Amino acid sequence: MDGGTAIDRVTSVGERSFTKEIQKLTLGAGEEFHGEGILAVTKALLQSGVSYVGGYPGAPMSHLIDVLADASAEILEPMGITYEQSASEAGAAALLSASIQYPMRGAVTWKSVVGTNVASDALSNLASTGVTGGSLIILGDDYGEGSSIMQERTYTFAMKSSIPLIDPRYDMERLVELTEHCFGISEASNMPVFLNMRIRACHLTGSFIAKDNKVAEFNTNAPIPEQKYDVSKIVLPPHSYLHEIAKFEKRLPAAIAYAKQHKINEIFPGKSDARIGIITQGGTYSVVMRALQRLGAADAFGNSDVPVYCMNLVYPLVTDEIVDFLSDKDSVLIVEEGNPNFIETQIAEIAHTLNIECRIHGKGMLPMAGEYVSNVVREGIAQYLAEEAPTEMSKTALDSNNEILARTSEAQSFLPGPMPARPPSFCTGCPERPIMAALKLLMKERGKFHISMDIGCNLFGSLPPFNVGNTVLGYGLSLASSGAIGPALDQPNVAIMGDGGFWHNGFTSGVVNAQWNKYDSVLVILDNGYAAATGQHKLPSTGATPRGMESMISIEGALKGVGVQWIKHVDSYSLDDTINVLREAMDARGKGLRVVISDNECMLARQRREKPAKAAALKAGQTVIQEKFGVDEEVCTGDHSCMRLSGCPSLTLKQSSDPLKETPVAHVDDSCVACGNCGEVAHAAQLCPSFYKAEAVRNAGILRQFASTINRGLLSMMGAK
Amino acid sequence: MNEIKNTSVIDRPICLLLGALGGQGGGVLIEWLVDAAKRAGYPAQATSTPGVAQRTGATTYYFELFPEKNPAGTPIFTFFPASGDLDLMIAMEPTEAGRAIERGFVTDCTTVITATERVYSTAEKVSAGDGRIDVEPILEAIEKASKELVQLDMAALSAGTAARGNAIAFGAIVSSGILPLTAEDCRASITSKGVAVESNLAGFEIGMTANATDAQPNSQKDELIFNAAPEKFASKISDFPSSAQEIIGHGIARLIDYQNEAYAEFYLERLKSVAEADTDKSKKLTSEVARHLARWMSFEDVIRVAQLKTRPERLSRIRGELSVDDTTPLKVTDYFKPGRDEFLGALPKGLGWLVPNIEKLKLGNGLALHLPTGSAFGYAMLKFMAALKPLRSKSAQYIEEQAAIEQWLAAVIKAAATNNYLACQTANLAILARGYGQVRKTGFSKMATLFSDWAERLTNDHAGLAAEVDQMILLAHANPEET
Repeated sequence: MDGGTAIDRVTSVGERSFTKEIQKLTLGAGEEFHGEGILAVTKALLQSGVSYVGGYPGAPMSHLIDVLADASAEILEPMGITYEQSASEAGAAALLSASIQYPMRGAVTWKSVVGTNVASDALSNLASTGVTGGSLIILGDDYGEGSSIMQERTYTFAMKSSIPLIDPRYDMERLVELTEHCFGISEASNMPVFLNMRIRACHLTGSFIAKDNKVAEFNTNAPIPEQKYDVSKIVLPPHSYLHEIAKFEKRLPAAIAYAKQHKINEIFPGKSDARIGIITQGGTYSVVMRALQRLGAADAFGNSDVPVYCMNLVYPLVTDEIVDFLSDKDSVLIVEEGNPNFIETQIAEIAHTLNIECRIHGKGMLPMAGEYVSNVVREGIAQYLAEEAPTEMSKTALDSNNEILARTSEAQSFLPGPMPARPPSFCTGCPERPIMAALKLLMKERGKFHISMDIGCNLFGSLPPFNVGNTVLGYGLSLASSGAIGPALDQPNVAIMGDGGFWHNGFTSGVVNAQWNKYDSVLVILDNGYAAATGQHKLPSTGATPRGMESMISIEGALKGVGVQWIKHVDSYSLDDTINVLREAMDARGKGLRVVISDNECMLARQRREKPAKAAALKAGQTVIQEKFGVDEEVCTGDHSCMRLSGCPSLTLKQSSDPLKETPVAHVDDSCVACGNCGEVAHAAQLCPSFYKAEAVRNAGILRQFASTINRGLLSMMGAK
Repeated sequence: MNEIKNTSVIDRPICLLLGALGGQGGGVLIEWLVDAAKRAGYPAQATSTPGVAQRTGATTYYFELFPEKNPAGTPIFTFFPASGDLDLMIAMEPTEAGRAIERGFVTDCTTVITATERVYSTAEKVSAGDGRIDVEPILEAIEKASKELVQLDMAALSAGTAARGNAIAFGAIVSSGILPLTAEDCRASITSKGVAVESNLAGFEIGMTANATDAQPNSQKDELIFNAAPEKFASKISDFPSSAQEIIGHGIARLIDYQNEAYAEFYLERLKSVAEADTDKSKKLTSEVARHLARWMSFEDVIRVAQLKTRPERLSRIRGELSVDDTTPLKVTDYFKPGRDEFLGALPKGLGWLVPNIEKLKLGNGLALHLPTGSAFGYAMLKFMAALKPLRSKSAQYIEEQAAIEQWLAAVIKAAATNNYLACQTANLAILARGYGQVRKTGFSKMATLFSDWAERLTNDHAGLAAEVDQMILLAHANPEET
């Protein structure tokens, strides 16, 4: 099981290929676009006349990077649009410097808040200098169910750097309009603009009427006539002080004026004359409307009894609109997802300062933290209407809510117990799984040692059944995060890092730092060829750029370049060897940083390439080896030691037909890709001899057939059927 | 001010939640639904929670369809399922339907269509005993909690075809009639998506009719197969309580296969003393010991493993797993790693000096062998090992195992004189005689310690002893890494 060669990887496609769908990006004025949210936003960029786009992959923005890469040759290049998948979010943010002096529109994208953290150095500088060309930062906000990161708000970044933040209402027509307006806001205010896309919105499907794509005035085919020098754009005194003043005296007011003029925020009037109202972020608008419908206060189309002020521009606030909305109401409910509740406190401050007699409800009626899903918002609004709405509306809301709660808890009461938790884990045949098994076995041998984990699939090793991994501090930071704890432990500490983490930050913050400060550490680099967790994205060591251009930087070369002496490669599927090398690395104390590189390719990527190739070869009559692992049920003792060292989805339980078996036996199901890990684990841990590997030679050659016939004859003489 | 048109009397969209595990094709199913709705002219929206959940974890997809063609206004669609207005819950695994109830999405207005086959979670797999969650009470709960439960036995439904669960579920969704989609539109969606069109169309048709024939039998509970003892044992078996006869017959058959008829007679002799001590009318103790004793007496030594690996039908069974015919060249590799203990155990006690005391053979190392059992040579080697059966009773392991069995049986019989429940639990302690190498050693030493002052504690510390036995059994079934 070797890793794919760089050449294989140049031509391999990512987890999702958008080649078919990018045709939609060429739709002209009046044609109907139908597709995913991400694709719609991309179309809006083209309709806005961008000169460059870039970004760093990460859920939920990974697919935007894929779309751009797939569209690169066919659409972006003819339009003169520069495209790159940057080496990190900081690199992507730095692209925006193109719009500081020049009237060029550009957009970059990444996962927030983690990516915004990485990009914040560039962002702060950019926000201070200000921009000439429209600059858009599309953020994939990974907040709520299924999130893989810490739960924080992007809003803080918008406030601290004075960057306008759009949190759009998810109607596809409106989403596209708002994306286009982002450039308008940016150019009117000379500020970059954040467009916050919620995780589910990235994958929503819908339609809108397209416009023609617009070729930018300046692009790679039509260069800027000459470079511009203007010292006032440099963040140095006295200009940095002037930038600060400009933010509050000119830029933010200009953004507000643009928003007012173009009705970025929306008022949905209420049918009743009750003096109540709801203020919501654009992203939670549909949830609010559905909640009102469930409480008998709105219909299916958003005709509500309660007026709703929908803020698509959530920072800065458009004070005049808020004053208008508050002034004829006795109370409002602010539905603001996330914490701290910046919007609520700002609105309360407006009401207080201007002496507006309107009660402001918010986090008092809705949960402080967590995603504002339908049920949560319905309960909050029910409480608000019960307290503040006129009698009839209040009663309907309360009754409807109680009825829903009663039906729900009745249904829940039938469940016999909790359902099994199903955290994410390594895929079938993943080359990272054996590394975790090796570490676990090594801990049995020499006692537990400290492991710093990194961002990426490797982090699943800290979950059952492996339970190895003590801390995680950020992308590429595993090695750096062991700097203080390493010397304080009796065994050398181990840092795990994927190839993605290595190139993102791990090389400089980790390896260079460790080398310079003479760490006595072991670094395990899982070089599976891609940023696999985000959906098979290409990396500097993959062998190609996302656009398919050959380009290769070697991890080992980089390590040697900074003087790392102790470097060993392992084939992670050879568990015994892997354990031996890891043991050797642990024992080599006093030899500086020891690096163990596992270079087996991501199994998903490999299967994506090999499965169709095998099927085609089989069809064409070529010899193909079909492999699978299996368990001899009769031999299996059913104590499941193998599962505690594997966690492979294809290694599962089966009820034995033998009445003597106390427990279910192990079973390898059809999803097995024959990576061999289960056999290796059985070997390395001296478990039971029930595992076997079976290889059938399909379309065998004549010689092979002949040998096989003789073999079968001999076997049948010995009684085999 | 925004103007909103509304000419409809329909108060909300039809809502569908799909619960699946990463890799089950949930995303494709949702794309088919969106496309079919668009073909028919119904406004619809779908979303998913991807991210790391895709990597084998539980994941959900959510779909809303407004059941009026080309309405004048734009209906409000949201991203989240909600309590009280979920019309359809599709689960590609039964506990995912259970999870939807847990989270409050399934109520009396929800039709649940679920695959019945379990996909076990890691937590269930890592238990040393049976950590599986029973699916029957979950299906019962879904039936009670929902408007209607449709069960899809995917394995049975797709047998003999290349159909996948997502296409079958698609058919079942459409034939439920809850969405206003026609089969023609759905077929067109599958065709235009262009991925595995043939097998997906086949799956769709299977799903369409599966629903019409209603609840499918649940294939999860496999039948236990009892082998019968040779006729000559019939009268001896009939001396035992009728409730234990089936398992005793099976035990005899097993031990004849394992060693010979004399060894089976030895089994009956041992069992007799237990049956005599079993005064409870349920005779549960007799059947429990019959089961444990047969398993223990057929302990897996090198000879037994060689015998099992050269079962005449084994190679053709493996061919079946790979779906290849008898003439396809087949290579089978077995993973053996006998350590010093295994070699010592296989030899008579006096010959232990034959096994070199080298690092390579020590615990955790062992002799790593990849045996080519599919080849005549490898097969012959194992056949030779299996043929050493007559010498088994001379081996050190045999002697050790029999001594431990005697100790355990004596403890069971003594306990039966005081308390039948404790005797049954003591019988269940035989679970500690499992596994190979270190695992087995640890189990044996636990039992030896417990049985060392057994008689004394039965009289002086009965309650404490009973509690200890219960605890040991509980631990034997738990995840050893968490205890």
